[in-house]
This record gives sequence, C-alpha cells and structure tokens, in this order.
Amino acid sequence: MLDIARKALQYASRQGVDQSEAFAMINSSLKVKVYRQEVEELASSTGSGVGIRVFKGNSVGFAYTSDLSGDSLEQTAKAAADNAAVAVSDEFLGLPEPASDFPELELYSGNLATYPVAEKIELAKSVERASLERDRRISQVEAATYAEGEGLVAIANSLGFGREYRETTCYAFVQAIAEQEGQMQTGVSFTTGREPSQLDGVACGREAAERAVALLGASQCQSMSCPIVTDPFVTASLLGVIGSALTGEAAQKQRSMFAGLEGETVASGVFSLSDDGTHPDGLSSAPFDGEGVPTRETVLINNGVLQGFLYDTYTGRKESQLSTGNGVRGSYRTMPHVGTTNLRLLDGTVSLEEIIAGVDLGFYVTDVSGMHSGANAVSGDFSVGATGRLIRGGQLSEPVREVTIAGNLLTMLKAVQIVGNDNRWVPFGGSVHAPSMLIAEMTVSGK
Amino acid sequence: MFLEKPLIEKVIAEALNRGGEFAEIYAERHRSSSLSLEDSRLERSSSGLDSGASIRVTKGRGISFVSTDRLDEESLLKAARLAGEGFANGGATGINRLALVSPQTQNPIEIPPSSIETSEKAAMLYRVDEAARGAGSEIVQASVGYSDDFSEILIANSEGDLAGEERTRVRLIARVVAARNGMMQTGYDSAGAHRGMELFTQYSPDLVGRTAGEKALVMLDSRPAPSGRMTVIMHRGFGGVLFHEACGHGLEADIVEKGTSVFAGKIGEKVASELVTLVDDGSISGEWGSNAFDDEGVPTRRNVLIEKGVLKGFMYDRLRARNAGAALTGNGRRQSFRHPPIPRMTNTFILGGTQSRDEIIESTEKGFYAKTLSGGQVEPATGDFVFGVSEGYMVESGRITTPLRGATLIGNGLVAMNNIDMLADDFEMNIGVCGKDGQGVPAGSGQPTLRILDMTVGGTEV
Repeated sequence: MLDIARKALQYASRQGVDQSEAFAMINSSLKVKVYRQEVEELASSTGSGVGIRVFKGNSVGFAYTSDLSGDSLEQTAKAAADNAAVAVSDEFLGLPEPASDFPELELYSGNLATYPVAEKIELAKSVERASLERDRRISQVEAATYAEGEGLVAIANSLGFGREYRETTCYAFVQAIAEQEGQMQTGVSFTTGREPSQLDGVACGREAAERAVALLGASQCQSMSCPIVTDPFVTASLLGVIGSALTGEAAQKQRSMFAGLEGETVASGVFSLSDDGTHPDGLSSAPFDGEGVPTRETVLINNGVLQGFLYDTYTGRKESQLSTGNGVRGSYRTMPHVGTTNLRLLDGTVSLEEIIAGVDLGFYVTDVSGMHSGANAVSGDFSVGATGRLIRGGQLSEPVREVTIAGNLLTMLKAVQIVGNDNRWVPFGGSVHAPSMLIAEMTVSGK
Repeated sequence: MFLEKPLIEKVIAEALNRGGEFAEIYAERHRSSSLSLEDSRLERSSSGLDSGASIRVTKGRGISFVSTDRLDEESLLKAARLAGEGFANGGATGINRLALVSPQTQNPIEIPPSSIETSEKAAMLYRVDEAARGAGSEIVQASVGYSDDFSEILIANSEGDLAGEERTRVRLIARVVAARNGMMQTGYDSAGAHRGMELFTQYSPDLVGRTAGEKALVMLDSRPAPSGRMTVIMHRGFGGVLFHEACGHGLEADIVEKGTSVFAGKIGEKVASELVTLVDDGSISGEWGSNAFDDEGVPTRRNVLIEKGVLKGFMYDRLRARNAGAALTGNGRRQSFRHPPIPRMTNTFILGGTQSRDEIIESTEKGFYAKTLSGGQVEPATGDFVFGVSEGYMVESGRITTPLRGATLIGNGLVAMNNIDMLADDFEMNIGVCGKDGQGVPAGSGQPTLRILDMTVGGTEV
C-alpha cells in the first residue's frame, strides 16, 4: 500500500501545493451471525482507498477515492487542492515533522486468515449455546456474532515520512434474552482479540445470560439521591464522554467542560485517567496515528488533577505543543482529527463485592442507554436511562428498570469514592479499560 | 445504468450456481462533498468518490453476503462466486430475465449540488454563522456543517427485478454554544431533504443558524429539570423521533420475526390510544427519508402501521416478508454497498389531530414541555426507551414557564402510546440519521404537538 500512497503523493505534488500527504488503506472483514445454531448471515467485504490531504498557503484541503487507478488518484489530488482553495488560511496547519522512533506493537496475527471459516462459525455457535445453557430462563439469543477485520495502513507525506503497518482484530458479541412471567430482559457481552484463539466464547455467552437473568422482575424504583456503583460497561460509557471533552480541539473551541482547568483538581484523588495508543491489549493501538506521529501514553488526569489534553499536530501547534499522537482517522474517507485511542482508568485495590458490601442503600448500574443524546460534553450535564439492581444493606437486591441517573460529570468525577480492581477492556465509548466505580451520590429518577 | 444488463445477469447466475434460492446485486457510485465552519472560519472542505457492489444470496433464513469496491467484471464474478459458496451444497437455480421496475414516486432535483461552486456553498455557511451569532451577544461559538451526497444505485435480482435510481441529498446543521457566568449551553438546528440546492431557496439557511442560536440562549436561563412522573407535552416535529424509537423500531420485521419486539403477535390489537395513527412513508417526494426504491429495488410506498390505535402491519425487507408471507413494504434499506439490507424506517410519523397547540397547553395544569429532543435509544424487546431533551420547559397553570435543562424522558413504548390523550393540528417533519446494526440511514420523523399522560422525567432535582 505504501507504493500506492507514494504514487498518490506524486500526483498531489504536481498540484502546486506546499505540503501533501496520502493515507492508503486496504482492509477485509468477515462477519458470522448465528441464530438457533444455524448461520443466519455470513458476510465478507474487501475494500481499499486513498485519502489525500494537501496544504496550500496555510489552508487545508482533502479528497478521497476508492478507485486506485492513476486517473482517479490524479483527479482526487486535484480535488484536494481545489478544496484547499475555499478553506481559510491558518498558520498552525501543516504536516508533523517526521519522527524516527515508533513503538513496536504486536497488532497482527497471521492465524486470523488461516483459521478455517467453519471454526469461526462454530465459535459463534458456542457463544449462543453457552448463553442458552447458562440458565433455563434464557429463551433465546437474539444475535451471536463473530466478526474479524484485517487491515493494512500506509501513510506517506512530502516531508519524507513513509511507513505502513498491518493489524488484525476479532471479536464475538452476544445479546441474550431472558423471559419470565411475560417480561423480557436482555444482557450483552463480548470478547475481543487479535485472533480467534484469544476469544473466550463460553465466558462471553455465560456473562450475557447472567446479565439478562439478573434483571428479570425489574421495576421502577422510587426517585432518590443515593450512592451509585457503576460496572465496567457503564464506567466505560461515561469515560467515553469524558474522553471526548479531553481533546485539545474541544478545549480550544470552548466545547469542553475541562476548558481552562489544566493543573486544577477536576476529580477525586482516586481517579487517574490516561490515553494509551501503545497498550498491547487495546484495540485502538497503532505504531503511529493518522498523521504518522508515533503513539504514546498521555496522562490526562493524575490523582484528580487535570494534566492536559490530547493533541493532533494542528491543535498541538496552537498551544506550542507537540502532537500527542492522537490524530485519529477511521478510514481513508476522513481527514485526521484529534481523538482518543485507548482510554485507561487506573484501577484500585477494592473488589466489586467489597464496594457493594460498603453501601447501605444504593444503585448498582449495569447498563445505561441514551448516552449520546443524554450526556453533554460541553456543560457536563447528563441524564441517561439506567438498569441494574438496588443495593440494600451491602447486598444486591431487587432489579430496577425505567429509571434515569442524572448529574453533572464534573461533580460526579469529584464524587468518585472508590475505583475497583476489576479493570477490563470494553469496546463501548471507544476502546476503554474500565473498572467498577463507587460514586458518592447521584440522582435516580423513577416513581 | 452504469453496468450492462448482460453482465448483471451473468453475475446473478454465477451467484445462484451453488444452491442458493435468491440472488441480488446492489451496485453504487457515490460522490460526496462536505464543508465545515467553526470560529467563523471555513476550516474544512472535503470531497470523495466511493463505488462498489455487493452480492447477496439467500436460502431459507440464511444470508450470504460479499461486498467489493470494484465494479469490473472479474471482481463482480468473484464476489458472486464467493457469495454463492455460502450455500455450497446444491445445483444451479434458474433466474428470470431482467425487467425494469417502475417506482410510485420520483424525487426531482432542480439544482444539483455539483452545479454550485464550492465557494458559493462556503458563502452560505458564513451566512449561517452570522445568523447564529446575531441571535445574541452571549453566543460564544457556532459550528456549521454542510454536506451533499449523490448516489447512482443499481439493483437487480434473480426474480427479474431491475431498478435504477439517482439520489441527491443535501443537509445543513448548526450547533451553537452560548455562555454566561461560566455556564455553557448548546443549541442545534438542521435542514435536509432528498432534493438539491433549491431546498435553501425555500428554507432559509439563516433560519437554521438563528434557531440554533436562540435555543442556546434560552437555555442560559434554564434551571435543572425536576424528576418524577408527570404529564409531558411533545412539541411538533422533533418529538417524532420519540415515536421512531418508542415504537417504530419494534415494528421492524427482523425483530418481530424473532419474537423480541413487544409488538410481535399483536396485529389487529389495540396498542395505542385511538387518537394515534402511525404511518411510514418513503414515497413522499423530496422528504429526507424518501427514495423511489428501497435498497432492494422495491418501490417505496405509504404503509399505515397503527390506525386509530390498532396495530395494522410491520415494516419488511424481502427476506422477512417472504418468511412471514407478507406483502413487500419497501423498507429494505442499507447504509451503502458494504452493508446488507435490513428492515428500516423511511419517514415515520403520527398524523395530526384536531386540537390547537394552545388548547393542549392551556388544559395542562402542571407538566413538562419537551420542545427539542437530542435523540434517544430503545430496547425493542422490552419497549423501554430513553430520550435526551435539549430544550424543555415547565408547564404551570396552563402556561409555558421556566426553561429546563438536563432532562431525559424515559418510558415504555406501549404505555406511552396508550397515554396520548391530546393531539394538535400542527404536524411537522424533522430529519435525522437512524442507526441500527452499525448502519446509518437518513430517516425522517414527524408528529403534531401532543400530550402524553404520566411519563417519567429524569432530571437532577428530586
């Protein structure tokens, strides 16, 4: 792919631009969905494309194509230059200085491609079976999915940068449905890895079943203010919103609740959060970001104190800082923009059981809904749907549904009393390594 | 047609060579351009070309699907062979000769976006920004986004259906931030249609900016929303998304088929207040969620889902319609050639009533007025839904009073539909992008102002 990127770069350099960059990608994916032990869907796709970014008189233009022919690359380079002509000039725009040191990461497994499709189908079936066999109240599994992707990413730019990397990812996902006395409840789980042998399908199937069954008989509870215990799935969803407010762009554009709070206490002393694009188990890890800048670990909040923000080249230059390697890019169809890679909340020493045992009357939240519409990264206000179980006298008690939990994320961060020791990777809210948390008080709205 | 008929037939035949029952090709050439403005500066302009095709073969309830981003004969035949191998245990199945299907509706384009210079589009974004900032001195930020998409679609299948369509969509979005004494509030507005640039001669871009700005300013005076059960009035237009989530998704046949919708098995039963008639209609010319054909080549049409409170039907794609022995409804949709079609809504709305909006407000002693919703989510198996309210108000003694922030509406689709007791005559549509199974498609939703008794408002004040 690097040769395609370099070819695109040549066309771009003939457009009378100051700097240019080509991002080329080739990927293939496979997805298997199983329902009642039959294959419901077997889908595969292959694709490739190039995104060309040019800088001309300090303004930027971008264009992409899925057609890798010379004609198409030339037209795309011209379109990128035309697009630059309408954008305003900005002295901070431009390519990063090429780096020489990159983290060495194991992101690729050759076993993904050689593992037979029949065994991938069997993996999805085993996930469904594990859910059904876990509890007789599991009436069906709405979807048991195995999916994988393999990609090759190459970036070349006019400052001489030219590198590529390969990666593989795979996961299984399941949604189990429990039924009792006419009520249905659902539970989800997933398992992720670089190759199928790293997936634990049985644990995944069982966990989804357990999560669904635990909610059977759920009803609305009284409105109250009480301590909240979030499980790792819920912690991850909350961290996703917090992470989006920790980008340099959000801070610079007054779109972040953290704007102007660098060096100040924004969370409780037990709360330490970092972004780590180099973690071997993080699915968003890569040797370099979407601009060719090496990835790294960036501490965002240390013992409650805000250390800084995430930057790509442009937002970093505005603060006379270097990029933190957070110029992320989902595909060749988008320009790089500043974003999180893998968020990691430093885990504590207390187990979930011990956290619950210490709560007299509280709410253990196992699922939140409406996070994208109910949480505001600018004001920090949030109100989201929640399901889970009440905690009474240090024990898990009756299941709860149709309530909301609400508050302000900044207030919530300061009210985090305990961070649990049950950290796990969760693909909700991005790629997040999240443990359970105890939050001193939040508003629960119900009856 | 950008693929020749003989080639299409060859590809479909190849796909059905190994024992499948039905085969389809969906090919697409897509061109898009987008502009974004922030800090009163046009920051980004981008454009792109994306093309490819997917081959789908089905047998019984099974789907084998292969997509490729090449449209040459060799790549298409390879994809067809691969898709056919999903059922590698039978002989060839015959296919029908292709014949063009006629749509019931067209979405004529007067001013193609490609005929307008990018600089002229950029000038429009600056106008929106100016209008947003002109709403008041406390506006501190405005971001304006514009996009246009042009797709040429070609769909053909082994039953002989051949459909082609050109689709043009334009969309304009403004997000505004207002600040006072350290408090920041946001406002949002958008306009979009399955039309060309003529949309902006009829719907002023300035209005999008000004409306978003005014919303942000109003919320500066807001106080935290209360919590608990109360009467809720949903403002026209935006509230439609609540019904899209609260019951629309539960009426999509893939979920119904598995029995994991609260509406499964309830055809002919009363599932809502008799005031409620819910319609999905992908054939309204020019609407955001409209197309001449769905993404399986089925002409779009008007489908009454709930009539005067009684459940009439579901939304089907071909596969689920065949499984259920139901008529095609034109709801098989997909995000792109990279995605298999699934049952989806098009433009979904509750028909208007006879009362005036003022009557509804005046007859409400105490309640919550939801003016703008920021989106939501539903669990179809339980019908439980949740919605963010970005602009809400108290209703006290028959009048709209204090603005409220941070509210979420939570409830159950069946319960909420039965609790609708007043419906106004001020119907309006709104636009959005609906996500399901990782696929986003343009979807319209609409409703008149209406009142729902006894809903849970989740605010921060107990």
